[in-house]
Amino acid sequence: MIKFKVVTLHGVTYEDDIDKVTIPTRSGAITILENHAPLVSVLKPGEMTIHKGDDKIPLAVSTGIMEIRPSGEVFVMADTAERAEDIDVERADDARKRAEELMKQQRGTENLDFARMQAMIEKELVRVDVGNKYRKLRIK
Amino acid sequence: MAVSMKAIKGRIKSVKNTRKITKAMEMVSAAKMRKAIDAALNTRLYARLTAELMRQLSALQEPNYSLFRRNPVEKILMILVTSNRGLCGSFNSNVLKFADKILQDKENVAKHRKTDAGEEIDPEKEITIDVLGVGRKSADFARRAKLNLISVFDALPETPTMEEVRPITDQAIQAFKDETYDKVVVVYTHFVSSLQQDVKVRQLLPVSDTDLQKILTDLPEKDEVTLPEQTDTPIECYFLEPDRDTILEEVIPRLIEAELFQAVLESSASEHSSRMVAMKNATESAGEMIDSLTLTFNKARQAAITQEIAEIAGGAAALE
Repeated sequence: MIKFKVVTLHGVTYEDDIDKVTIPTRSGAITILENHAPLVSVLKPGEMTIHKGDDKIPLAVSTGIMEIRPSGEVFVMADTAERAEDIDVERADDARKRAEELMKQQRGTENLDFARMQAMIEKELVRVDVGNKYRKLRIK
Repeated sequence: MAVSMKAIKGRIKSVKNTRKITKAMEMVSAAKMRKAIDAALNTRLYARLTAELMRQLSALQEPNYSLFRRNPVEKILMILVTSNRGLCGSFNSNVLKFADKILQDKENVAKHRKTDAGEEIDPEKEITIDVLGVGRKSADFARRAKLNLISVFDALPETPTMEEVRPITDQAIQAFKDETYDKVVVVYTHFVSSLQQDVKVRQLLPVSDTDLQKILTDLPEKDEVTLPEQTDTPIECYFLEPDRDTILEEVIPRLIEAELFQAVLESSASEHSSRMVAMKNATESAGEMIDSLTLTFNKARQAAITQEIAEIAGGAAALE
């Protein structure tokens, strides 16, 4: 069992003892099992999957940091993290479309804004993906 | 008749109006306080984890990394977190008193300390302190103390988000990287409970082990994160992915951001609770004042009646 916590600025999103977890990092997705070596890594917006027993819990995360303590605890400090069932797919999709729209207008203007919008689109895309996946699971 | 009844009536009315206003302000700030406290408490765990991680990373001996630079201090940037509005008891004056104390004792603040060896880097002869203000009151203070005010952030909402605090951090980090400043400290009010708030000063840059330790002891234990013996596993045992430079470049600014964000939220929670308490006291005092004024009013009325009766009685006696 791994002690696992997802923490954002707005509190703890997820906290449990889990079997394994797949985390999207800058250098590719990694799966963490028990007794992992201490690690600090940078998150990439994407889907994080938590495995506990037979349950699979998908979470949409954006940028952030993760740390594996020498004691084996795993902490994910994300800017945003949402459980699939909390995502409103329509709204996430709208947000993504809006961001894309903005990006088209702004193209080539300011680099900083551009980068920020790209990050926003990436984040919303992930939310849509994870939310949809969960919806499909539920319909089945 | 010693006191005019009309004048007292007027007084009572105006005090009643004031009480209505303070009562309304009390309720408004009670609602805002709850929100601000929630925000501050929710961020604490994040702040704690990031502070711990930063402590670990600060042990990396990387003298070339710009945010770890320790020069003899010549210029200090003081980030002062105050409120925009007054009427919040001693909230602002406490922060500013503390800032004043720092100004008196520049040498002490300007020293770099390292705990393990007890080694200190002495500052330059002439130390100047500039102010980066959060909240309008900090700007007033800088003007009065004749300090150089590099910018003021006075448009932050009640419970700011990370995006709104980011420009402050960016500016501080940039100025430190440019070597405009050799040290950045933040003065803020730490929220303990709605009746107790403490003013604290924390070193933001360069990243310092001692100060991070202080932050960690400030955050209450109930955050139930098991603290491993940090010293047993130095950062060298950690894998850093993708690589060391990326971690430093990406992670440290983020951690500093979190630290400052926490300071702003704590201040906001403190501001609203001290305003609520101040308004509560004002409402109570107004009530007391109304009571004593009513008593005086009744006395005056009674005196008038007694006098009238005496006059009538006197008149009747004169007729007989």
